Amino acid sequence: MRSLLVRIFLSFWLIIGITIGIAAVAGFYYSERLREAMENFDHGDTILEASAALEQGGREGLVNWLEDFPKARGVTVFVFDEERRELLDRPLPNDIARLMSRHRLHLRPRGSDRHEPPNLRRARPLSQLVSADGRIYTLILIPARHPPEYFGRTVHGSVMLIVALIVSGIVSYLLARAIARPIRMLRDATVSLADGDLNARVGNAMAERRDELGMLASDFDSMAAKLARAAAQQTELSQNISHELRSPLARMRVALELAKRQAGELSEFDRIDAETERLDKLIGQILSYTRMDSSPQDEPAEIELADLINEIVENVNYECKSGGIDGVTVQATFDSHPVVQGYAHALVSAVKNIVRNAVRHSPADGTVTVILGHDDEAAKIVVRDQGKGVDDADLLRLFEPFYKTKDAPDSGTGLGLAIAERAIRLNGGHIAAENLTGGGLQVIVTLPVGGAS
Amino acid sequence: MNGMQQSASIILIDDDRELGTMLTDFLRPDRLDVTVCGSGEDGLKRLASENFDLVVLDIMLPGISGLDALKQIRQSSDMPVIMLTARGDDVDRIIGLEFGADDYLAKPFNPRELVARIKAILRRSQPEPQDTTQLQLGDIELDSRTRRVSVGSNTLRLTGTEYEILRCLLETPGEVVSKEQLSERALGRRLLPYDRSIDTHISNLRGKLEQAGNEESIQNQRGVGYTLIPGA
Repeated sequence: MRSLLVRIFLSFWLIIGITIGIAAVAGFYYSERLREAMENFDHGDTILEASAALEQGGREGLVNWLEDFPKARGVTVFVFDEERRELLDRPLPNDIARLMSRHRLHLRPRGSDRHEPPNLRRARPLSQLVSADGRIYTLILIPARHPPEYFGRTVHGSVMLIVALIVSGIVSYLLARAIARPIRMLRDATVSLADGDLNARVGNAMAERRDELGMLASDFDSMAAKLARAAAQQTELSQNISHELRSPLARMRVALELAKRQAGELSEFDRIDAETERLDKLIGQILSYTRMDSSPQDEPAEIELADLINEIVENVNYECKSGGIDGVTVQATFDSHPVVQGYAHALVSAVKNIVRNAVRHSPADGTVTVILGHDDEAAKIVVRDQGKGVDDADLLRLFEPFYKTKDAPDSGTGLGLAIAERAIRLNGGHIAAENLTGGGLQVIVTLPVGGAS
Repeated sequence: MNGMQQSASIILIDDDRELGTMLTDFLRPDRLDVTVCGSGEDGLKRLASENFDLVVLDIMLPGISGLDALKQIRQSSDMPVIMLTARGDDVDRIIGLEFGADDYLAKPFNPRELVARIKAILRRSQPEPQDTTQLQLGDIELDSRTRRVSVGSNTLRLTGTEYEILRCLLETPGEVVSKEQLSERALGRRLLPYDRSIDTHISNLRGKLEQAGNEESIQNQRGVGYTLIPGA
């Protein structure tokens, strides 16, 4: 079916139609039966029997006859005496009593009255018998509301009811499924898109649907594609900008060296050198930051965190020495040797940036400690420095790009921790910072041992 | 260390003309004559018709890419190649080495560093007629006079860097040679942080040895260096 509108419309129509149809058939069947019952209703015999009973036993005989009157005859007989008392003291059914009083009991109801109950239409309610002692008894004969044959056929009624329930159940289920399933698929795609998977699509599963939900799915897919394209364009743009910035930088460095040859060493040249290098580093960090949110550069692999940390510690120590901050030492402590599944390049980048950040914030003779451990679900890397720590208000903002605390040293690019945060997130992990009670800051990285999702 | 008396001819394949002009000026005092080509096609044409001592090849080129140009060069020649790569972030990307480049330098670089690397590679690739060392281990044979390496009856085609690494390992079979040592010997420079060049060269060398019928004999001693295992 092409349209959800048509589908819902037809389903409801079908269910309601079946219900009305069954009701109509049942009603028609019922009234037909009733009509037949009426037509076959032989009141003559009953009156003759009553008359004979009265003749033989008087009032007593009539009472006995009434008591023994078999239900199966399909007729109920009420007998009133001259005081309008029913012989068995039974009350008249309400509708008959109302009718009786409206017609002042002795009047014969008009059979053509459409408002009367159908079973009265052809009833001959009133016959009068006169007993031997001259008393008048009024007989009211009411055909049974449900003709006996009808009860014999009620099986058909319940079968029809069950069939109706099953049919309407199936139709309702199919309708509900037709709506709920694609919505669930759409929702799954939306959730993964929101989680940052820009490749999330509803895709083929709903491609054959031509209804509103199918259109919604294809609209969703094209929206997701546009989103992915926009994100890719943005990444590409910042990568192109960074790359384009590097060409003049490369020329600047050569020009600077040529200038040094002609003018000799000047302290300003060293300054230009340092600034050029810093610019280069910043461009590198921007590239790294934008890349960390798009596709990882390598395949996920098993990573021995202890090896990774050892290499980084060694290299950062090397950097400290060659960078003139040889008072600062980085050391590693391994409580355990967890292995995680993840993107090596991103993890190296993350840990290195955290450790470098700690080194930058360390006092001149400070020690940066890297502690590796794990619990049941996660590997844990803690990096501690002996610096001043940060204001509690700044703790959450530390991982925002270009966010610098008041007394941050100039040497940082402001991107290191932001890169680390993205890289850890890419690996399905979590990063947080907290102040140590004895002073200093610790950055805690948790990585699921199960690996990157 | 002053083996650079005569001049050497360098071909620089880079589409940044201004950079090329400045580098030409910068390298001249070191007796390095630079020919600049603006595209890979142009560079390959010049390489086919003229003799150069060394190629400096930019990885980002219009038309045929630097990597493809490198692959084409390596099909016919083992001449020294230095790649100019784009620095990805602070970890250098060593794309190029796995296709047989001898060394790489990430742009933007200090031109003095480029001079140092060019000189190191040129010095190393010069034949030393007076050195007549012959090394052998299992089926691997190395003749330093002809710079010829063979496995059994197969002659290996090694780049200068691979040759130096293998020679270094062959001199002390069974002993661990550190990555620092290998870097100093084969690349003429210190090992840098996060430097994977030696590992990449080793993996290329291993591939070539295996192809020539030598079972894997270079072993990685994790965190320390590499060993050539005798009789493997």
